[in-house]
Amino acid sequence: MERAWILGRPAALDAAVAEAGKLIAASTNILIAGLGTDVAGARAAIALAQRTGAVVDHMRSEAVLRDLDVMRSSGVMMTTPTECHVRADTLLLVGPLRGAVRDQLLQNVIGNRQPKESAPRRVIWLCAGRDLPPLAETIAATPVGRGLDDLPVLLATLRAQVAARPTVKTGVSSKMLQEVSATLKQTRFGTAVWSGAELDPLAIEMLCGLVNDLNATTRFSGLPLAPNANAIGVMQVCGWTTGFPMRTSFGRAFSQHDPWLFDGHRLVTSGEVDCVVWISAYGDEIPPWRKAPPTIALTAQDVALDAPVQVHIAVGSPGIDHSAVQYFAATGTLAAFEATRPSETISVAAAIERIVAAMPERGAH
Amino acid sequence: MLTRIAGGHVIDPANQRDARGDVWIRDGRIVDAANARADATYDATGKIVMAGAIDIHSHIAGWNVNTARLLLPEYHSAAMVRPSETPLSRKGWSTFETGRLYAIMGFTTVVEPAVSPHYALHAHLELGDTPIIDKATLVVLGNDNYLLQLLHDNESEAAIEDYVAWTLDMSRSLGIKVVNAGGAAAFKDDIRAFSFDDVVPAYGVTSRRIVKALQGAVNRLGVPHPLHVHCNNLGLAGNFETALTTIAAAEELPLHLAHLQFYGYGKEGDRKFSSAAPQLAEAVNRKANVTIDVGQVMFGQTVTISADVLRQFNARTHARPKKWLILDGDANGAGIVPYEYRRKDFYNAVQWATGLELFLLINDPWRVFFTTDHPNGAPFTSYPDIFALLMSRDLRAKWIAELPPEAMAATTLPSITREYSLYEIATMTRAAPAKLLGLTERGHLGNGAVADVVVYEDSPDRARMFRAAALVFKDGDLVVRDGHVVNDRWGRTLAVAPERDRATDGRMKDYYEERYGLSDEFLKVPDYALQRPEPFEFVPCR
Repeated sequence: MERAWILGRPAALDAAVAEAGKLIAASTNILIAGLGTDVAGARAAIALAQRTGAVVDHMRSEAVLRDLDVMRSSGVMMTTPTECHVRADTLLLVGPLRGAVRDQLLQNVIGNRQPKESAPRRVIWLCAGRDLPPLAETIAATPVGRGLDDLPVLLATLRAQVAARPTVKTGVSSKMLQEVSATLKQTRFGTAVWSGAELDPLAIEMLCGLVNDLNATTRFSGLPLAPNANAIGVMQVCGWTTGFPMRTSFGRAFSQHDPWLFDGHRLVTSGEVDCVVWISAYGDEIPPWRKAPPTIALTAQDVALDAPVQVHIAVGSPGIDHSAVQYFAATGTLAAFEATRPSETISVAAAIERIVAAMPERGAH
Repeated sequence: MLTRIAGGHVIDPANQRDARGDVWIRDGRIVDAANARADATYDATGKIVMAGAIDIHSHIAGWNVNTARLLLPEYHSAAMVRPSETPLSRKGWSTFETGRLYAIMGFTTVVEPAVSPHYALHAHLELGDTPIIDKATLVVLGNDNYLLQLLHDNESEAAIEDYVAWTLDMSRSLGIKVVNAGGAAAFKDDIRAFSFDDVVPAYGVTSRRIVKALQGAVNRLGVPHPLHVHCNNLGLAGNFETALTTIAAAEELPLHLAHLQFYGYGKEGDRKFSSAAPQLAEAVNRKANVTIDVGQVMFGQTVTISADVLRQFNARTHARPKKWLILDGDANGAGIVPYEYRRKDFYNAVQWATGLELFLLINDPWRVFFTTDHPNGAPFTSYPDIFALLMSRDLRAKWIAELPPEAMAATTLPSITREYSLYEIATMTRAAPAKLLGLTERGHLGNGAVADVVVYEDSPDRARMFRAAALVFKDGDLVVRDGHVVNDRWGRTLAVAPERDRATDGRMKDYYEERYGLSDEFLKVPDYALQRPEPFEFVPCR
């Protein structure tokens, strides 16, 4: 069942692994990107980065870092999907919540399994765009504002009203906004729900500020929905193994984190790296850049790359082909998933371990 | 392989040993092997030999700790190439460095004391990546819907025991901790202050009732470590009365009070803030079934990490620097609030003195435990300096002279002359914690003990001595030499698994389906997830 290619031609796994080991050993500035993998794969990738002085980035770093930047520069109140599920009597949905987070919204936040004892929920949806009408049967929400362009001024106005400060006119009727802010203040335990993939960090900060302010007189918390490809799981692994989230480099003797300097896309397009290891075990994401240095791709099976790369190895799906630990969006925790359809297809962790074992010794760097 | 550590001053309070002699190791265990031929001999002449130290309360792993890392990227040496004021992590705040730094100081077992059941796997993944030392977790109950509902419904003691046993098993923990019992649950209903006899509105149960129910269940299950209590009203002036009330409520059963320093505050003086350590020490001295750890404060930048969400919510406005995270979690939740303890700050200086008073005024080193509540009072890397302060009244006098006089006047510390002996230090950090946790094979150097052995230079500079051991053996393997790690081996995590009625498992499965619409599978900590050869070692219950 093993499937591997060298320069687009089918190859034995051993040969592909040896070729990858040689390429890594011969490179000086390595980027390990994509990083769509389980906890074991992330640990192996970070260990490889430490060994080779590489940079680690994740395909969803942008979204993760927007939320993280707000946290590490101000104050944030958060809750879990499970606590939101049992307790929230008011949901403040913010932004269109499209793509990967839509399933989380429908399954974990809205759901159809509201516990018996909880009160009926009020749902306010800020700037849902065109997405609300088709969902009207599933979500009985009060729409406020249209597109995301309206969001900064709406959040600022709501925050000012909650704090009883004067406001200026917005595109939304002031009566409606006053009703919304009154609802937010009257809630018993509210939850604001957003996606870092959609909101500007300043909007997230304003929203978190609104949530904090609401806690002066009631209880309110935030629930950022997680990007896919185990982004939060990989962030956690980066955290305990390096002290930093992704976009961390081991190019010096110590780990160094810089969201701009170690942005994988920037490193590739500026020509600063001479080797890319692209990891994507969950979906069909392929490297998002056109021209790339020599690349080793560990991808889910049946993924076609735009152009042949030096080494391409098909890896198993975490939790399906092999047991795996990964972020579980229903609970907001790391959880273990036994393989549902165990197969011999190699895992990301095993592939990296094989590559490391195949690397020729090289001098100190 | 027979190893001899020859001619050192062996201090082993569990075996009343305090004399020059040898320590022998075979196959990872201490053995009696006088006059045998050793395969390897280490000369310990003029040095101090002790068992590996045990830390009963240090926040080293899990979601809360990791969130603190992510909140504070600027506190890493990696962010500042030559850090002068980054005690959290001279080499980076990773699990790898945590294990190494502990080992270098001669610590071989460390307990992460606040794991929320839903985050147990996360904590164990981090502990699995913490090298050299052995680890354990305490799992937090007391603000969880299931327990509070059992109490509300006046369910039987057996039902509570089964639930506690199930939680210990699922989370692979060594004991139970309760954090501000009922306070986090009350906070969800917008309660902002919560004391021992206050009622959680949604359940109609008091903090006292929760603590007593858990204390009794832990005791009846035979879990060696008594209920580990983080009291209500942490950090507030006048809160020594909360601690006194909790101590009295222990009645005749074992109870452990965590980081008592943070409850050692009276309301005397112009600023209505003073040390009440003498009253607390007197209460502890009188009550032989109560143990405490100190939670010593040291000056410098740190971050407070706590499952006491109510306390942390109220403390967030004091964050230094001004950023924080509050988690309204499934039961306790958490709060991460950075803080800098300053020498010139009256309150911080009183806190520093209060902790030392507790160490020095509680007479029995078997019942007072050495902690800084890492990193809440200070990072664990500050331990050597605290040992030195406990062992020298002259050193304390130097510190006191540089602190605000009005703060020192609000404490009795300047008048205390006691100095800890090395024997008392060994009792407090080796023999006593092993006994408290039920680790009969640790904390001593008797025949059959796990061969965790530390050799220190007998330097008059005690801080220097404790900062970097000359030799550390873990399970008989040499892991540290001259203050440097020489072997990054992997340790184990210690857990208990008391008996329970297996019908509990079905009830809990149904509960998770009913309450969350989820299988309870996500709570499990399977061995395969941890990717270590023998991730767990089970400690017998009584």
